[in-house]
Amino acid sequence: MLRYVIRRALYLIPVFFGITLLVFAIERLAGDPVTLLTALNPLITAHQRDLLRQFFGLDKPIHIQYLTWLGQLFTGNLGNSYGIGGGAPVSTLIASRAWYTLEIQLLGLFFSLIIAIPIGVLSARKRYSKLDIIVTNTSLVGTSIPIFFLGIVFILVFAYNLDVLPAGGAQSTIPSQYPFGNLFADILWHLALPTFVYTFAILAPVVLLIRSSMLEVLRQDFILAARASGLKERTVIYKHGLRNALIPVVTYVGLYFGGLLAGAPITETVFNWPGVGQLFVLATNGLDFPVIQGIVVIITLMTLVANIITDISYGYIDPRIRLD
Amino acid sequence: METLVSNAAPRPRHRGVSQWALAWRRFKKNRAAIAGLFVIGFIGFMAAFDRLVAPYPPSCIIGISSQCPGGGLQSYRPNAPPSLANPFGIDSNGYDVYSQVVYGARAAFLVGMGVSAISMTIALLIALVAGYYGGIIDNVLMRFTEVFLVLPFLLILLVFLKVFFTFNTTATGGLLIVIFIIGILSWPGNARIMRGDILRVKEFEYIEASRQIGASGNRILFRHILPNVLHILIVLTTLQIAAAVLTEAGVSFLGFGDPNSPTWGREIALGAQSVNQAWWVGAFPGIFLTLLVMGFNLLGNGLRDALDPRLRE
Repeated sequence: MLRYVIRRALYLIPVFFGITLLVFAIERLAGDPVTLLTALNPLITAHQRDLLRQFFGLDKPIHIQYLTWLGQLFTGNLGNSYGIGGGAPVSTLIASRAWYTLEIQLLGLFFSLIIAIPIGVLSARKRYSKLDIIVTNTSLVGTSIPIFFLGIVFILVFAYNLDVLPAGGAQSTIPSQYPFGNLFADILWHLALPTFVYTFAILAPVVLLIRSSMLEVLRQDFILAARASGLKERTVIYKHGLRNALIPVVTYVGLYFGGLLAGAPITETVFNWPGVGQLFVLATNGLDFPVIQGIVVIITLMTLVANIITDISYGYIDPRIRLD
Repeated sequence: METLVSNAAPRPRHRGVSQWALAWRRFKKNRAAIAGLFVIGFIGFMAAFDRLVAPYPPSCIIGISSQCPGGGLQSYRPNAPPSLANPFGIDSNGYDVYSQVVYGARAAFLVGMGVSAISMTIALLIALVAGYYGGIIDNVLMRFTEVFLVLPFLLILLVFLKVFFTFNTTATGGLLIVIFIIGILSWPGNARIMRGDILRVKEFEYIEASRQIGASGNRILFRHILPNVLHILIVLTTLQIAAAVLTEAGVSFLGFGDPNSPTWGREIALGAQSVNQAWWVGAFPGIFLTLLVMGFNLLGNGLRDALDPRLRE
């Protein structure tokens, strides 16, 4: 097991260099962020622009820029932003937003798994029944609805037409707007719509996955053996069947975790949610290189770590799987 | 010679039913898949005959542009609700939403077809080489694929597009760039699935048999292995089209798409800004987007059930 983890960790190194080099190269093709940053300032002189470039280190050759950035990275320093947050450290910017992103994603994952597992199992047990056909086709429709479109529909219905939920943001600006004058209630109030949309978005693929995985498992001989030995149907399905059917679900959740922050730009933009995804959109629009690089590095690391954790957890779910 | 042929007994007609005909029989029974095919056909018709189906040209701002039919007679009325003349209403820039939906259909089809063509070609080549030759070639190619799989796809895509469109604000054929970039970023998952199936097919006895009678590597690869993974290629292509259309819509929604192509994502973003005044601006492109993606997903699933011999009952 340890050998496996070490090998995977070593494998991180080429991946890491590949991705950072790629992002660095694309960014430097983008042209000059200083021109973009100072475009609205009619008084700025060419000399002042040069000074800014020197300040950001943009006057140096690209390989020097890359090595400087890498050197800083190994001391845990992601650099300072060019403009977002007034040149704040990138690590501070990401840290102040990471919780918001994790919050809705984890809640969405939690609720969708709780709902999806019983539905998927039921659908597999009653294969080709009316219920199964309805579940399968509804899930297929569900996987096709773009999450941003769904978000807008919910905002229209719940925030504008019914006026019961906020249209966006993570918190009311003034305490007098808190429902029941309570900050905690206000946070929950703002969480409701994004969480619901996330849950919906993850629900459909997980239901389909559990159903097909369960169908596969229920055909196996050990299920027949368990039934033949007179176990209760409940025990056969949930103890013997489900545990084996969960392996592809773990893979999915692992991959999902990896992309946790990565998929966020679109949904967070819809709900004006102050998370990392929204930060990434801001940074890309403003050509704020250090912020872009910082987010890409952190998300890549998260993906790789999530993959390793997924692989390790196989061993716990299915002892037949051995890592070496 | 001719008389000989014409006098010969007619060839017996018991040629059996081909595998494709069998698959079509199974496919026909799947009502959801047929519905998907119908939706794709309908939107495909809109896309193919866009200039005939759309009442207004793409750059017509109603009441302002002179190239609109009926030109100066109409008044400029952004966010006007659906009416007989503008069945899906008018958006906040003054464009006819129905016409924009039609041109968006064309963009969506171009993106879906283009991306899947690029992505599946790369995936198939890598999978064939890795799966057939195995050993160190397989190892290297699969590590390479894994690196691509770990890439934060959407983030890299956004940076790429931002860079390109900052450089070329008036580029014609910007949509092709979007297609190209999504295409070269979306092959790894497909390559991995196809490689797995090629590894499975490679172990079959008839492959061994054809090697025994001295078939060349290329012959085995293209005459024996490829036809047996063709059904997987078809299914993955269909699902890739759906995924590509969704990705492009998301990118356009964020404002990173081609600024000069009317796309559904862009129109939905416009509608999102004025959702409480003019729901129709975002709703109609959103519904069409959902329908098209659903069509390809249903078709892909139907094809999988019909073509995969392992799923046969």
